[in-house]
Amino acid sequence: MSSVVPLLRIDALTKRYGSVTALESLTVEVPEGRVGVVGANGAGKTTLFRILLGLARPTEGSVYVSGVNVAHDPIAVRSRLGYMPEHECLPLDQTAADVVATFGELSGLPVRAARQRASDVLDLVGLDEARFRPIGGFSTGMRQRAKLAQALVGDPRLVLLDEPTAGLDPAGREEMLALVARLGTFGISVLMSTHLLDDVQRVCDYVVMIDGGRLVVSGPTDALLERTGVVTVDVGDDGAAEKLVARIGANGMHAETADGLVQVTVSNDEDLDRIRDAVVDMGLPLYRLGSRLTSLDEVFFERAVR
Amino acid sequence: MAVISTAGAVYDRGYRPYDGPRGGRRTATFALYRASIRRALGLRRSWRQKVAPFVLLAIVTVPAIVNVGIAYITRDQIGRRIQFITYRDYVGVSSALLVFVALVAPDIICPDRRQRVLPLLFARPLTGVDYVIAKVGALFSVLFLFSFLPQVVLFVGQALVSDSALDYTLDNLDVVWQVPVSVALLAVFYAVVGIAIASLASRRIVAGASFIGLFLVSSITAGILVGGDEGERVVGSAAALISVLRLPLYLRDLVFLGEIDPLSPLNGVPNGGAAAVLAYVCVLGLGIAVLLGRYRWTER
Repeated sequence: MSSVVPLLRIDALTKRYGSVTALESLTVEVPEGRVGVVGANGAGKTTLFRILLGLARPTEGSVYVSGVNVAHDPIAVRSRLGYMPEHECLPLDQTAADVVATFGELSGLPVRAARQRASDVLDLVGLDEARFRPIGGFSTGMRQRAKLAQALVGDPRLVLLDEPTAGLDPAGREEMLALVARLGTFGISVLMSTHLLDDVQRVCDYVVMIDGGRLVVSGPTDALLERTGVVTVDVGDDGAAEKLVARIGANGMHAETADGLVQVTVSNDEDLDRIRDAVVDMGLPLYRLGSRLTSLDEVFFERAVR
Repeated sequence: MAVISTAGAVYDRGYRPYDGPRGGRRTATFALYRASIRRALGLRRSWRQKVAPFVLLAIVTVPAIVNVGIAYITRDQIGRRIQFITYRDYVGVSSALLVFVALVAPDIICPDRRQRVLPLLFARPLTGVDYVIAKVGALFSVLFLFSFLPQVVLFVGQALVSDSALDYTLDNLDVVWQVPVSVALLAVFYAVVGIAIASLASRRIVAGASFIGLFLVSSITAGILVGGDEGERVVGSAAALISVLRLPLYLRDLVFLGEIDPLSPLNGVPNGGAAAVLAYVCVLGLGIAVLLGRYRWTER
């Protein structure tokens, strides 16, 4: 048995609201790092977060954060936890600096330290120029950053992010994911709830998939993304791809085009050599040749159905 | 020779962990208390938010200043010194205080619910009880300050314009405990009732109107049931206890006079003083029960 205390240990967790079962016999252990909790809307992600924060009590089972039972000592758990809800939650008539500093004090920091850290984290999330403006005048992206700043100001060990990219435009989403990815390098563990599997695949080391309140699968992201026996070849444009498919097909291998790429089913390393030789013989540029991995979407749908 | 670069540079200062002292529930509660006081006084907010509290402070202090001014003008007229307000009268007579509670209590409670700040607050080391203590405590402190400061102005002013400040102080030593106690009783009553009503509404205007409405309607109802003109009444009625407005004033009278004021609508009611204390405690208890019930969801 490992002596390392997991970041999160959930034992047979069940939560019922009357006749509705939000979580059912959920058992999972999660290591430190960036963890994605994925599932469709209504899967039980927000309920899990509420239980982690001690805002809802489990009907059955128990939850431990860094070895502390949430039901027994929610205050100890919350004192080193940051939380970024999905919905709007910041006072609109106050400046970002005041709001984040106040939440720093509420996390137990002395006044001066809270103001200093508010300045630091607003700088970190890219709101240093706007910190003296009322939050009511912020764009959606800026509000998301301010929400992240208030979650970080108390220097949490674990930060819970509920749909952090919700409502953001593509550029804002990229920036938010980059920020989340950086948190791991600061020694802050992340529990990110989302229904966007692509977000999790990009920034999380570990994935917990739930559906209808039940655990679908959990494990390291890399381990879930299995090799498929299909090789993807990028030769630049659609015309070249079509020609390569014809040439490979003539060699007795199965090939097809998808999104301008050539996908070839291979069975051994010799097949890879034959693909390389075909590209060279045809004088085509070879931008990329690699194994196609399953996406988390495929893993989710396959396991959820099973 | 040093080379000065004209090109700018962007430095990523990264993330600095915090390893200093860290408080728990008490620190979080005190932080929320201070944030609520700042909000009540309009501090770190636009000038519009500062108007109400400081206009109120001016309004409630004016009688003290006028009283001291008249005492100063008439200081040499032995036997003709005019004092138009007493320390007892000065506790809770200003309706500006009621309006202030109707404006401020919703302002420090309603936005937390309406703007959905509560989940963020309760993600901190803070319980529902702590939240109630911080909010009620903040409004109590502001009300106490705004009711007590004018009394201090009155007392110091009267002492300074008297023939002997020392003699005046010694002659009025009772006031030194009567005023803070009665002001505290008034402030805690207004704070609990104001915050409790505000906690039941998500819109500030509704909460403020409900607060004023409760005080006015209960006062008018009590007046109708008791009957007669105040000041001339000899025998009152227990129905006077319906008036939420007057409940803290009965306790003020008990503190200053040791009995119910003979001119009050509760005069002549058997055990009127005890009944007033009981009614006061019941309203306070109901307000606290409403608040604890309202914020119990955090531990559900």
